[in-house]
Amino acid sequence: MKRIGIPLLSLAFCLFVLWKWTGGFTSFTVFSYTLNAAGSLPRVCPDMALIDQDSSVFNLDGKRKYLLINFVYLNCPYVCHKVNNQLEQIYHLMDSSLVPSKLEFITVSFDTDNDNVSKIKKYRSYFGSAISGWTFALPHQTSAPSFTHWLRKLGVWKYQVPSSGIINHSIYLFLVSLDKQIVHVFDPARENNQKIVQQIEACFGESTL
Amino acid sequence: MFRGKYVVVAIFVILAVFLVVSFPMNEWFSETMSRHQLLQLPVMIVLGAASALTLNCKTVNVVSWGIAILIFIAASVVFWMLPRSIDLAVIHPLFNRVMHFNMMLVGFLLAPVLRGMVFEIRILFIGMMSVMLLATGFALKTFDVLLCSSFTIQQQHETGFYLILVGFSLFVITVVIFFKGLNPGNIAA
Repeated sequence: MKRIGIPLLSLAFCLFVLWKWTGGFTSFTVFSYTLNAAGSLPRVCPDMALIDQDSSVFNLDGKRKYLLINFVYLNCPYVCHKVNNQLEQIYHLMDSSLVPSKLEFITVSFDTDNDNVSKIKKYRSYFGSAISGWTFALPHQTSAPSFTHWLRKLGVWKYQVPSSGIINHSIYLFLVSLDKQIVHVFDPARENNQKIVQQIEACFGESTL
Repeated sequence: MFRGKYVVVAIFVILAVFLVVSFPMNEWFSETMSRHQLLQLPVMIVLGAASALTLNCKTVNVVSWGIAILIFIAASVVFWMLPRSIDLAVIHPLFNRVMHFNMMLVGFLLAPVLRGMVFEIRILFIGMMSVMLLATGFALKTFDVLLCSSFTIQQQHETGFYLILVGFSLFVITVVIFFKGLNPGNIAA
């Protein structure tokens, strides 16, 4: 018994450490760990004051619509623009009875050092003029630590590489319901646009029932 | 007398290399994923193994203890290859130093265990490690999703490529050891 007990004890200890570290073998990256650590769905979407491309200040809690929130920064070399191009396709795939009347897209930049209202306005114009209901925004009068804290509560990981200045971050899309609950989190790198649209529209089906 | 002096000098050299790799050069090793994973981590394992050999540690001949230690070694390597661990090790130097100590301990235990274990366990362990390195290498090389926020996708692919090379080399070594072990002369011995 002792002969098999020692290796089994070692195995149990190692598996326990790995299990704890990966949140029950579900989160292997900082992105997924931060998302899972924020809590299971549905959960409350923390409020935040933002300023949009037209310099209007708004709070997420003040919006009386479903919200689809994502995060970018304009100096991103690749991924952010790819995700926003995907979001543009999702926007145009959505039923016109939903956007902009019942659903609003909000793209938030978290590079408060380099991005400003005029830059996000110009960036928004690259997606054409027919995107009413797609707001580009920046955090408004929020300190960097409290903004980072808000991102963590939401489930977003952000890290600026010191040597290159590149901000590596989660690219999840957060669907927020009318009662300001995060009801869905989409991963645009793994889910196709059609599937994301179907899931969003299904939420509206559930809410009308 | 001569042996004592040799041990002191060797320990001094090991300690000096450890301090250089862990402190002044830590930033350089943390700059790219391949340096962090394929240089800093193995250096620590080698330093640990060198310490065990220098101190002439007893070989572990008891199979149950040997297997238990090999499980710990494999789990330690798995732990420090998880993208979350890699990220936190790069972001927090203190956590990185925990990795250094753990990898030195891995090396320190590896030498006496591999020397004392029976052929079948040794071959199984090395084979398993090579397969693990190959699988991780292929994952890093082919995934187009950034797994570690401290590095770039190019560095991730590059590390994947080198891990495949390391894994393949270890696999070849496994095969060579295996067929050497199957030699009728060795079996009779």
